[in-house]
Amino acid sequence: MPLLWLGLLLAATLGMEQLEGVLRLIEPDSREVIYRRDTFLALLVQHVMVVLVASLLAVAIGVGAAIAVTRPAGRDFRPLVGQLASIGQTFPPVAVLALAVPVLGFGTLPIIMALLLYGLLPIVRNTLAGIEGIDPAVHEAARGMGMTGVQVLRQVELPLAAPVILAGIRTSVTINIATAAIGATVGASNLGDPIISGIVNGNTAYVVQGAVLIGLLAISVDSLFERFMPRLAPR
Amino acid sequence: MAAERHASPNWVLLSLMLAGLLAWLSLDAVSVAPNRIVAGAPHRAYEVMGGWPMLLVTLPMLGVMALAWRPDSRRLRLAVALVVALLAALPLWLAAAVWALVDPSLPQARLGIGASVWLLLFLWLLVLLELRTRLGLARWQGWALLLPVLAAWWLALAHWLEPLALNREYQGRSDQFVAAIGYHLALVGAAVGASLLLGVALALAMRRHAGLQRAGFAVLNFLQTIPSLALFGLLLAPLAWLSARVEWLSALGVSGIGWAPAWLALVAYSLLPMVRNTFVALEGVDAGVLESARGMGMSRQQVFWQVRLPLALPVILEGVRITTVQAIGLTAVAALIGAGGLGTFIFQGLGQAAMDLVLLGALPIIALALLADALFGALADGLRHGGAR
Repeated sequence: MPLLWLGLLLAATLGMEQLEGVLRLIEPDSREVIYRRDTFLALLVQHVMVVLVASLLAVAIGVGAAIAVTRPAGRDFRPLVGQLASIGQTFPPVAVLALAVPVLGFGTLPIIMALLLYGLLPIVRNTLAGIEGIDPAVHEAARGMGMTGVQVLRQVELPLAAPVILAGIRTSVTINIATAAIGATVGASNLGDPIISGIVNGNTAYVVQGAVLIGLLAISVDSLFERFMPRLAPR
Repeated sequence: MAAERHASPNWVLLSLMLAGLLAWLSLDAVSVAPNRIVAGAPHRAYEVMGGWPMLLVTLPMLGVMALAWRPDSRRLRLAVALVVALLAALPLWLAAAVWALVDPSLPQARLGIGASVWLLLFLWLLVLLELRTRLGLARWQGWALLLPVLAAWWLALAHWLEPLALNREYQGRSDQFVAAIGYHLALVGAAVGASLLLGVALALAMRRHAGLQRAGFAVLNFLQTIPSLALFGLLLAPLAWLSARVEWLSALGVSGIGWAPAWLALVAYSLLPMVRNTFVALEGVDAGVLESARGMGMSRQQVFWQVRLPLALPVILEGVRITTVQAIGLTAVAALIGAGGLGTFIFQGLGQAAMDLVLLGALPIIALALLADALFGALADGLRHGGAR
């Protein structure tokens, strides 16, 4: 399934020119029906890179923070971090993106920051839920076997919490792909570009090209998670 | 254990306050510009009136840190009072900055809020959240604490903060602003209302037919992964085509842009949380309760309306809560396809590089989302307690 979607995504990215006839049907009056300010491949790569960088950072910081506040030394911060993660999720991603611009300016950096901040929340929340959802008896047993704190974390807590953590990462990445597209309005060039430019110029064919590619990207990534999640889960 | 806990310092409060103090002393607090176009000249907090007003904000912060060093319940209560006072004093500090820095002879001169003031606001709210948890205050008590703060801000905005850039942007379009909030809420309400009706109907149908259940959830999950911007864009063409062909649709105001694609997309996104929660809620009612209701001689209809539905209501409301919060954010994106609402200000502001206009759109959206969240959360809590009796 993921291969099918990825194949479609690549085919659509590279072969958009071939679809000119079909797109002409949507927009018979416009001079130009294929978005040409940038190649679709470049836009796709930009989109994926921004999401990838933001998501990797979010995973590192989010899982790290959740682990830190579930250790004895960081336990004081646990209530605040938990509440912050749940309140933060009520913030709409667009608003977070909009607030990042006055602070960080236009371009790719504010988008990565906004995606990172927003993407943290589901990861932190799920990592906390995953680690704290482990049966205390399991924890006790691992300790009783003479495992150290680090060993318990690496060999017991993280593997058991992995499915829940991965579900959080999946949510985070899905939101990030969508929000990155809106980032085209703050000066990052990615797959949101054709959509915005199509809306501004009243060229529906541009909109369709951008929308189809983003849709395919989102579905491909989601099906990748779908495919590999059960494999990682039981260990 | 309890005595020991009180004796050890509260590191959360200490580190939050220290971060606030550092930001307050080192980052730009405000910026002053003669008009909308020119970039503002930044000022640190100590540059305002020789730094005396700054000290008035700094001392209570040090006070909170001192209280957090040996926290007990009395000291923490005192810290709450200090933080509320700080939050209420911040607009007064801004008023002092306006008085000292803004030339009153320039009608367009404006004062922008800088990084350190935003950071302080954020950190102080976190401190309040932490204190609320430590003291075990109820949710409504937390909200009640914010009332004097809001009153102070409102008072300052109305009387002394006219040159605040955010306020200037508002003054220029106060009618538009009120209309945008109304329109935003109307669109969210229409979408959530429609998806509630549709969602409940769908959930009821799914309980009858297992095949529909699998297919339905598959389709709704699929819809949820499509990015909002893409869905808005994809609805553009078919709706434009429809309104060009079907007369009564265009008479209704349906077209490729505007409320129609926005509403459709909002309903599509709202359906998954709504159906999922309704389905889980109806299925999750304790079988023993249903059994005993049957045993009392209730008919199937009565069991559904008088037992199953009331017991499921809190979880269904949870679905309404998630949906409403999500729809408030998505409606902002819908401004890109001409649907209006508060998102218009965000995208206008981004287009003109007018950051305060962006804030004028983004801050109310966040406030609305938080309000909706609190409101439905409280409603579900109330129902749960009422139903448990």
